[in-house]
Amino acid sequence: MRTAGGPLVSLHERVDKFVEWLFQGFEPIVPRGSKVFNDAILGNQHFARHEVAVIDSPIIQRLKRIKQTGLVHFVFPSATHSRFEHSLGVATLADRCFSAIANRFAAEFPQKAFPANFDRLSGHLAHLRMAALLHDVGHGVCSHGAEQIYQALTDLREFKRDERFVKNAEGEILSYLIIQSTTFRRWFDQIVIGQCHAQIDLNVVGDMILGQHQDPQLYFLSQIVSSPFDADKLDYIARDSYYCGLALTVDLARFYSMIATAEEKAKRVLVLRSYIPLEQILFSRMILFSSVYQHQKVKCLDMMLRGTIQHILDNPDQCAVEIRGAKVTFNDAIDYLYVTDDEFFNMQSFGDPYVKKMLGRFWRRDLFARCVEVSRMTVENWDGFERKIWMDYGRDFQQLSAVEDEIYKRLDGSVRSKCNRDDIKVSVPTLPAMKKDFAYIQTSPTAPVQTVEEFFPLEQWAESYGHNKWRSYVYAPRELAKPVADAAVKVIEDIGLKIKRDVSDRHCHLT
Amino acid sequence: MTPTTTSRPSLAPDDALSAILALATKQHGGGRFAFRAHDSELQEIFSDLAEEYDWLPKVFVFSNTGPRPFSPDLNDSIAKLQLAGLLGRENPDYQIIFLRPAAQGYFDKVLAPRLDKESVEQLERVASAFIAKVRLV
Repeated sequence: MRTAGGPLVSLHERVDKFVEWLFQGFEPIVPRGSKVFNDAILGNQHFARHEVAVIDSPIIQRLKRIKQTGLVHFVFPSATHSRFEHSLGVATLADRCFSAIANRFAAEFPQKAFPANFDRLSGHLAHLRMAALLHDVGHGVCSHGAEQIYQALTDLREFKRDERFVKNAEGEILSYLIIQSTTFRRWFDQIVIGQCHAQIDLNVVGDMILGQHQDPQLYFLSQIVSSPFDADKLDYIARDSYYCGLALTVDLARFYSMIATAEEKAKRVLVLRSYIPLEQILFSRMILFSSVYQHQKVKCLDMMLRGTIQHILDNPDQCAVEIRGAKVTFNDAIDYLYVTDDEFFNMQSFGDPYVKKMLGRFWRRDLFARCVEVSRMTVENWDGFERKIWMDYGRDFQQLSAVEDEIYKRLDGSVRSKCNRDDIKVSVPTLPAMKKDFAYIQTSPTAPVQTVEEFFPLEQWAESYGHNKWRSYVYAPRELAKPVADAAVKVIEDIGLKIKRDVSDRHCHLT
Repeated sequence: MTPTTTSRPSLAPDDALSAILALATKQHGGGRFAFRAHDSELQEIFSDLAEEYDWLPKVFVFSNTGPRPFSPDLNDSIAKLQLAGLLGRENPDYQIIFLRPAAQGYFDKVLAPRLDKESVEQLERVASAFIAKVRLV
């Protein structure tokens, strides 16, 4: 049985243990040759023999059991695509971006040599494709749905205060640590380098996943993996909108014709020759956020997941589960890697009746209902500073738990007896981080390199769209919605926000 | 420049930005406080300030991995203060950022009671340096 990590065991060591567990019983097989994967979005995707070895390894195969959009498929039924197909797609799109940049470079600077080479077995392109393929291996159960829970629990926060990792999401940091792990490196050396004869430095791959490169002239390669217009976004915008049935588009042909590189403060950076492709990326992303990722039912599902995991965290003895010899209590970010979506929702080994009841709700799609809406339409004093106080509760779920506790306490005794404390959930969503770094525009090879907002206020427009769509909700089981609304309104008013009860009730279908 | 060594005010990044801007408004004589700045200029100003005041980069951690310094904390703080109604941006070009009246109320009623004298003085020094660097309108 794996021993619990705890604060004395470093994150590196805990990730090492996870990868060792993941590879247990895995017999490395050297693929016979390259493969072509047919994809609904991107068509034929070619992978070299050493890449097939990585794809067939547990580190990537695990991603087949993690849905790309977490719990979104409960609302958009066809959104059952996985992190696996997304990872293949990002590798393909990264390759296409690389080729487009190289072609443009050759056309614009015929006298100069392109700084990166095309060798898919050992060159820069091989490293780029490998980084793209591995960029999401740090995703755990329910993807971003769980990320917002474990980020509040763990020493990952210390990494986020480090200059080197400050721009990276938790999943990216875990991906980096996984590919640096002893077990993965040993397997990679034996199979990918030893048997498939690829020459790939995992340190370079790790840096690229973090959006970094030691060579300033090759910095743009890391931006293809992680930047405001990276291959990750190009793939998930196309893939998520397709599987959710939204008619969004990024004109990839146009994008490839506009992408180039330029010198900016001694680094070679990605630039766009026009802001139009970026406009499509930002607005498609904003619409995906408002229509899909922050859909009120998706937030409700996220809150139900949080309530379930919160209950497991509060009752570790009766709720801990064993997965192939590993004891999982969800009190550490790494625990979320041990569990995949199918395992979590099929867990018969959860002995706790509340957890069983909640998993039953997911099975039957018996979702909580909205009780109170906090938004510009339902709050009288929306222009007051009290709005900031309310939003601050969204900083982490421990602060939200205090509000939920207070609502629970305010319930009438007879209602409280029918309600579990974890049945009351408050969602105060944060806005999507529209920008991890600057996006650059250079309208011609001789024009100055400008940040996109110097050129056109695209990001600010997208952000203000998000502001107007922002909603915060209190959720509870449908049968308790009315009394929970009564109690929640009192708590929210004590915090200082005056709720227009008639409007909130109407929006929440309580009248 | 030699950094000023002090203990840092213990504030979340968005609260620190809110306090700096509210104190800048007071130093500017009250009334409407507005300045013209692209995000990249604001990042540069705060990156410069972080070299002068050593507590500031602990609040706004800057990444130097790209060609220009960038602090996601600062970027998120601006977005949060806009969403919370403390900061506004003027249409249509969004270049002018202004403090809404709620910002002063939030500082006076919520933040100031949590700050000791030394912290307020630290924040005031940064606010003063900020005014000197930014293009006021």
